[in-house]
Amino acid sequence: MDLGKRLIEALGFQTVFTIHIGGVNIAITETVVITWVVMALLIVVSFLVTRNLKEIPTGFQTILESFVEFLNNFSKEQFGHSYYIYAPYIGTIFLFLIVANLLPMFSPIGAFGRAPLFELKPPTRDINMTAALAIMTILIVIVGGFKKRGFKGWFKHLAEPIPMMVPFNLMEFIIKPMSLALRLFGNILGAFIIMQLIEAVAPIGIPPVFSLYFDIIDGLIQALVFTFLTSLYIAEAVE
Amino acid sequence: MDPIVAIGAGIAVLTGLGAGVGIGLATGKASDAISRQPEASGKIQSVFFLGIALAEATAIYGFVISILLIVMK
Repeated sequence: MDLGKRLIEALGFQTVFTIHIGGVNIAITETVVITWVVMALLIVVSFLVTRNLKEIPTGFQTILESFVEFLNNFSKEQFGHSYYIYAPYIGTIFLFLIVANLLPMFSPIGAFGRAPLFELKPPTRDINMTAALAIMTILIVIVGGFKKRGFKGWFKHLAEPIPMMVPFNLMEFIIKPMSLALRLFGNILGAFIIMQLIEAVAPIGIPPVFSLYFDIIDGLIQALVFTFLTSLYIAEAVE
Repeated sequence: MDPIVAIGAGIAVLTGLGAGVGIGLATGKASDAISRQPEASGKIQSVFFLGIALAEATAIYGFVISILLIVMK
């Protein structure tokens, strides 16, 4: 297939189905469907592994407990004593991004000139998805700031250290989510495009080697960076 | 594709230069710091990851702009 055509195809989003509500058409793209798959996976797995927890952990429960403990310690270090409000959010975003970035590894590929039955493309390659995550983060930053400083105190801290800084402090609330969203989106999309090109040029033998970096390591690092920056922004607002 | 668009997209991707220099500097300084104080490697690593992510963002912005140029024409 022509490289350019394949690239344009990979960049587009197919609409799986459309919901009609009172004359408004809501297109459900494949991004949304794959996000549902990730959500279902996370919910089912969390339900299954926490079904019968014991006082003395055995088997899988030890892994679970060490993960939760790691998360709590990380949050405690970042947010101080009110960590228990924000730790679940940080953990959820981290787990979601890991699964969302690593899921495309299990996507079936076409062989013998036949197209695969379905394709799992990373949902984070859609800027709408990453923008939603970034907006969630900045909302928590704002709400956490209100909680910490009170209504008046929050507006007062916008004018610190000098009143001239107000526009710059306000600009932060646009720049922070934008850089969060664009970083995740650009990284995942870039890795995705490179993998598409490699698979188009050399479909046998070569892709798994590159997939090791572009799918696994890049996805993990970006999940880590997004979580880390999120926790940093929240910590800055609530400390 | 209009040739001028292709040239523009190519120039936009040149932002990778800055990110490369930045990440190289950060890695060099981080390995310096770890070799000087191996016991602080955990803290150095977290700062290092953060710095890399921030330095890399410039390259990503250029990349996103070049993709926009190509797709939107």
